[in-house]
Order: sequence, then C-alpha cells, then structure tokens
Amino acid sequence: MGADPLVALLGACAHGDRTAFEQLYRQTSAKLFGIALRIVRQEGLAEDVLQECYIRIWNRAGDYREGLAAPMTWMASIVRNRSLDWLRRANPEVIDVDGEIIEGVASDGPGPLAALEQSRDGAALARCLGELESKQRQAILLAFHGGLSHSELAAQLRQPLGTVKTWVRRGLARLKTCLGKA
Amino acid sequence: MDLRGNPDLQQRLAAEFALGTLRGRARRRLQRWIAQESALADAVRDWELRLAPLAAAAIPVQPPARVWRAIEERLEGGRSATPPGLWANLAFWRNLGLVASGVAAGLLVAIGVIAPKAPDPAPQPVVVRVPSSEMAASYLAVLADPKTQKPMLIVSAGRSSNELWVKTLDPAAHVPDRSLELWALPAGQPPKSLGVVPRSEKMTALKLVAAADQAFAEVAALAVSLEPPGGSPTGAPTGPVLYTGAFLKYW
Repeated sequence: MGADPLVALLGACAHGDRTAFEQLYRQTSAKLFGIALRIVRQEGLAEDVLQECYIRIWNRAGDYREGLAAPMTWMASIVRNRSLDWLRRANPEVIDVDGEIIEGVASDGPGPLAALEQSRDGAALARCLGELESKQRQAILLAFHGGLSHSELAAQLRQPLGTVKTWVRRGLARLKTCLGKA
Repeated sequence: MDLRGNPDLQQRLAAEFALGTLRGRARRRLQRWIAQESALADAVRDWELRLAPLAAAAIPVQPPARVWRAIEERLEGGRSATPPGLWANLAFWRNLGLVASGVAAGLLVAIGVIAPKAPDPAPQPVVVRVPSSEMAASYLAVLADPKTQKPMLIVSAGRSSNELWVKTLDPAAHVPDRSLELWALPAGQPPKSLGVVPRSEKMTALKLVAAADQAFAEVAALAVSLEPPGGSPTGAPTGPVLYTGAFLKYW
C-alpha cells in the first residue's frame, strides 16, 4: 500500500500550512460531512459540527500519530465523537427516521457490507460482521451509522430494551474475537 | 463501579462508547473516566480502529461552500484577535534599546524575503533534568511581557555548553493551541530560531547548533513569538512578539 497522501497534508497543517489545510478539507470534507449528517440528521447542526471539527483538526494536527491510525480514521473519530456530543434529540424515543439510511442498513441486504469490502481492513470487518447473527449485525450497523442509542435501537427494531442491549453486547464481543483471529 | 479492576467492563464500555450507543450523562461520565484511565482510553482507541472501516464506508455528502468560508473566517479571526505584529513595528525594536537599526533592517529582510522560503521546522526539546545549582559562567535572559513587565520565562546557557535551558515562570505564558517560539536576535541579522518553548514548568534543554559563546557571540536580546502548533512554518517569525529580554553574559 502506498503512503497515504493525507499523512503529509496533516504534517504540513501541524506546521501551520494553510494551503495544505485547504487541500485536506477538499479531499476529506464530503466523507466527514456524510458521517456527521447521518448521526445528527440535521443539516445545520451537521455543518456546525463539521466546522468545529476542522478547527480542531487544524489545531491538533501536531497530535496525529501515523503509527496509531490512518488519517481518515483519526479525523472520522473526531467527527463521530463531536457529532455524538452534540446530539440533542427533543424526544429520544421518537426517531426522526432518515428513511434511506435506516432502511438501507436495516434491510440486511448486501449494501452496507459490500461497501466495506473495498478496503483491506474493511474486508476483515465485513467478514466478521457477516459471521454475526443478523439481528446482532443489524443492531450494530444501525447504532454505528445512525448514531442510535440503546433505547432508540429498541424503538426502531421494536424489541424490548434489554433484548437489544444483549444483541449489541454479544455482537461486539463476537466481533472482537473474530477480528482478533483475522 | 470499580472500573480499574474490571477489564471486561472496560472492554464493554469502550466498545459501546466507540459504537455510539451511550448518550448524555452516561457518555460524559465515560469521557471523564477515559481522561483518567489510560487503559480505558487505549481500549476505546482500539475499538475505534476496529470499527473505522465502517466510518470510511460512509456515503460522502458534499458540504455547502459556506462551511469552508466559516472555517477560514474563524482561522483569520483567531489571527487578527492577537495584537498587531510587533515584528513589523520598527519603533518597538528601537525601544528595545539593545539593537541598532541593523536588526530592524535584518527584520525587514526576514519578513520580506526569508519568510516564504521552504519550511524549516523548529528543533524539538531533547532532555528534561535539573541543572546543577552552582552558577557557572553563563548567558542569562529573563523574558518579560513588554506591556506588564511581568517576567514570563528564564533562559540560560553555560558559556561553552551546547544546551540552552528554558523555564516557564508563569504558566499563563503559554497560549492554548499555539506554540511559543524562542528567537535569538543577532545584531544586523534576521532572528534565528532556538526552538519551541516547552510547555513544561520544569527546566528543559533546547539543543544549540554550536557552543553558547559561539552561537550567541552577537546576540544581545531574545524574543518569543506566537506561532502555529509546532512552531513557525517558515523559519522566520510569523506571529506577534509576546515576550522579550536582554541576553546577558554572566562572567
């Protein structure tokens, strides 16, 4: 695998290179906006999250360590965490379903896993997700992509809260074991 | 709940945190634990890495152009909120009283000509230890805020040593998300970077390229400028001067 060009861009940002920062934004903002939008499900809020996260990325570019994670992983985790921090739903039990995303994942078709297999790490994760029971897989994908809490998952999947929690917990434990072997 | 003695529980919470199912108070409480407990922080990071391909597979959505404009405005705003660049203010250099017009001229060169050259990252600090208490033949500077006269940093070097010792006297000397860079001001020449000021409140050494009495033969003053994280990207000062002081021979 060739060197990730984003590594050099982040390195330049750490030294205050604004041109590199703009390039970094051009190359990554659509992906990161997609991530934020799925979780907060409100365009204005997702824009605020994105803005906040890029300021953070600019200020913290010097903290990025290549050995620990790929640049996209590092940035995506900043955006996911910020999105989850900012998540304020008036009534968490009533989900403002973004039909397409939820249906796409919940249908348990090949869609979400097929997209994963494009990267090497993704292929391992896709294989291990494929080994889970389908209800476990569904719950995990819904939670991750849609930013759903346990109770939102329970409402979405029309199952008791305890049941959904167990699916998620067992699914994650199996996932870890499977990825550990990979 | 005893998190420390319970690796299974740590794993479970780390996984739930990375997956995003924790909300509100539960999430904030775990964030506090993550800050305190490095094993938990590692477990969260491992889970983020495991699940990262899922995030990477997210469908991209082009954000509106106003987002980038807002980011740029905030970065510009951060810059103009700092005091106007003393580097460009000739009166400031005359008032330093230590340097003749030569340095001011050198400074113009530094700003106008040298600044755009290839990045020359500032050297990093190397060791932290406490030097011996006896005061040998040394160079010494106390850098103060010119407005308040408050001493902020002490800088010293043994006469023939290759190490420059820096100590922050006032933690408020540092600026969040920015680096302080230390400069030697040789007469008639542009400022020379001595490195980024370590955030530590302990004595910390910066490596010198030559023994102090060679490196500082022509240096009558030191200054600290505000720079992007990691130091000036250009090898010349880019931000305002925050602290200055005469650099004296003590022997």
